[in-house]
Amino acid sequence: MQTPSTASERSCPSGEWPRDELEDLLSRVTRPGRYVGGEFNLRLKPQARPRVVLSYPDVYEVGMANQAVQILYAAVNDETPGVAERAYCPWPDMGDLMRARDVRLWSLESQAPVAACDLWGITLPHELTFTNVLEMLDLAGVTLHAAARGEDEPIVLGGGPAVADPWPLAAFFDAFFVGEVEGRVAELVEALGARTRAERLDQLGRVPGVWLPPRSAADAAGPPARRQVFTEFARTMPVTRPLVPLLEAVHDRAVVELMRGCTRGCRFCQAGMWYRPVRERPVDLVVEAAARTLAATGCDEVSLVSLSSCDYSAIGEAVERVRALRPGLRVSLPSLRVDSAAVRLGRFGAGQRGSATLAPEAGTQRLRERINKGVDEAQLMDAVEAVFSGGFTGLKLYFMLGLPGESDDDARAIAATATKAAELARRVSRGRARLSVAVSSFVPKPHTPFEREAFAGEVVLRRRQRLLHDALPRTVKAAFHDVSGSLVEASLARGGRGSDAFVEAAWRNGARFDGWRERFDLRAWSTAAASCGVTLGEPAMTDPATAPWREAVDPGVDAAFLDEERRRAEAGLHTEDCRRGECGACGVCGGGVEMEVVA
Amino acid sequence: MTRAAAESRPGGGGDAPGTYWLLWFERSGAASYVSHLDTVRALQRTFARAGVALALSGGFRPKARLSLPLPLPVGAAGLDELAVAEVADGAPPPARALGALQAAAPPGITPLRLQTCAMRPRPRALEARYAAEMRGDPGALVAAATWFAAQEGVTVERVTPKGRRTLDLTRYVGDLAVQPVPGGAHVTFVVRHRHDGAARPQEVIDLLAGRAGCASVAHHLTRVGVSYQGLPRDASSGGEE
Ligand code: SF4
Repeated sequence: MQTPSTASERSCPSGEWPRDELEDLLSRVTRPGRYVGGEFNLRLKPQARPRVVLSYPDVYEVGMANQAVQILYAAVNDETPGVAERAYCPWPDMGDLMRARDVRLWSLESQAPVAACDLWGITLPHELTFTNVLEMLDLAGVTLHAAARGEDEPIVLGGGPAVADPWPLAAFFDAFFVGEVEGRVAELVEALGARTRAERLDQLGRVPGVWLPPRSAADAAGPPARRQVFTEFARTMPVTRPLVPLLEAVHDRAVVELMRGCTRGCRFCQAGMWYRPVRERPVDLVVEAAARTLAATGCDEVSLVSLSSCDYSAIGEAVERVRALRPGLRVSLPSLRVDSAAVRLGRFGAGQRGSATLAPEAGTQRLRERINKGVDEAQLMDAVEAVFSGGFTGLKLYFMLGLPGESDDDARAIAATATKAAELARRVSRGRARLSVAVSSFVPKPHTPFEREAFAGEVVLRRRQRLLHDALPRTVKAAFHDVSGSLVEASLARGGRGSDAFVEAAWRNGARFDGWRERFDLRAWSTAAASCGVTLGEPAMTDPATAPWREAVDPGVDAAFLDEERRRAEAGLHTEDCRRGECGACGVCGGGVEMEVVA
Repeated sequence: MTRAAAESRPGGGGDAPGTYWLLWFERSGAASYVSHLDTVRALQRTFARAGVALALSGGFRPKARLSLPLPLPVGAAGLDELAVAEVADGAPPPARALGALQAAAPPGITPLRLQTCAMRPRPRALEARYAAEMRGDPGALVAAATWFAAQEGVTVERVTPKGRRTLDLTRYVGDLAVQPVPGGAHVTFVVRHRHDGAARPQEVIDLLAGRAGCASVAHHLTRVGVSYQGLPRDASSGGEE
């Protein structure tokens, strides 16, 4: 462990961090390894400035799996004069102890206070991490409301997919970065060189993609920030020296992002709209990245990741060439497309003799057409057959409940589809197959064709979960998403201006780690909702018809395109993937942004 | 798979000269706060990063053959710890491998030296020497150690997943010495590993803290060295053997 004396004066005021005190805390909490760093490929730049702290608002093990933090960590440390360190959200046992002993959140690399950094970048993956942001600010001793922060406090910058609607966190952040940050890291770091806090914020506000939220209720919001697209993606080597934790990871594999974006056009999917257009890295680059990452991590498996890796134009060649790097190397694809050819590729992964996953999403053809899933039952059954004839012994099918236009019969149809798949699986695998279904709740998200649709609500979701549960055969294991968590997600995903008060009230009531079922506290949220005039499940402090998120964020995808897609959904019309068919005129391409696919 | 079968497997090691490596390493800093299994995994990964292939166990999920004969408690550093590795055919000479392992190790794990072993070593720890610092009244801590030395038996209770058990610490702890330092004391002791078990270092700290009325926290808890049975001659740890 590095002692505080390795950090600069500013980041380590003398006497503030007696090592004994930290040691004492570590001796009293579960998994102390969460709080000390020491990973493989750690970067230490104790004298470098500016000092950036990167955070993922969840516990260490979850945060370490996040690719955005890995990308930014490498970019700031390896390509700028600055230093990036990290801090994750302390688990409640540690959080409680820190409060009791008045110890402030520290960064893993230098053990210096997070509050003394120049920029605190927090990636925002989804709504159920929002209260953890407040928890971290509080544990760090950083003033909760950005408007009240002092000259010496860090600039707190939010990024990540949940910035699609920044209003529920607007009061707590000095700025938000909208979109893919890789191409703007140098500019962000440079902006921190300004003399005063106000000047630094002013400089940051000039960086494309940065949105500065209004500082009081009376202030008008500035112009929306245009979502940034990393146009050099296809020509840039991905991170090949990622941090590898000493604590056991959920997935111990080398990760290579071979493609960004997905244009299949599933109408419920925010990522599909948010990361447009498709950009593919050439196979040579993917293979080289895999070789370097394997050497740097010591892993014996490579995962070729993207939103839809089976759609990568040369996926067969990429898998073959990466496999050839080393005898016995496993190559996995994170999500298999629902077709038999894709499933056959999946057999090279760790999932062989294990489980595969497929996502038909809905139980009826009518509903699959409405969401533009582009998969019919025959394709699904072909894929199921390929799963079990290819050597997998388990299959998990992902479905959603609460989709627009869904009826109780659609819910029952999921059971019928799963039953048919289970029978086929049993036949093909001679009785050894395990089939399970995972059922989540649909939450309408901003910047999607369904952004103005109604959330199904608690009563409907619980009824359909019960219907489906009762209709499934006992041999099919089912896991249902917690409806209470979805209610909160639905209120925050499309929260309006002022909805930050709702998040703050919930946090003050004790809400944190809301994404952890065992820690989710519905009472904290219900009380907050009552005090803020929010109906749980309804968008907080807004009418979604006004799409308030567009005041802050210009996603690049035209509102007219989304409206047209909504109309086509109602008509049950399929929209083709622009990678294979015609341009759908979503509005993203142009001005240097374009689709890039390998030949 | 039986052990005999595993050892006769091609590339699976066996007892060919040089197949077994004894790696002596230091664990300190951040690495002190991970579990025994995480330390094993970190060393396995260090071998992989260094390009030294370990022999694999058989079965559906083969595991690299590397073990630590004496787990270090979470929170403790170890100055001279032992790992026993079974390397696959084609491993580089140990002299060259040591540098590669040092370059490949994470912060807090420092490979110190390598020895080869013709036969599968079966080390059994006999004694482990520990050092720690405690905060509190130095005089009270010295008195606590003096009291312990005068006792014929000191029973402590241990809560385990299987229930409660008692043990007499005097059977398992020796050479307890407490040196006063400003604001506390420097504590050293030996834990004897007997066939029926051993004391935990924290149990010694708890006992002293309880008698001296101070916080039961061992600062800089360090395993200084371990004596083993079942190692080749000249293979020892901590510079005393
Ligand atoms: S503008 Fe056209 S080609 Fe580009 S992502 Fe949108 S639909 Fe696809």
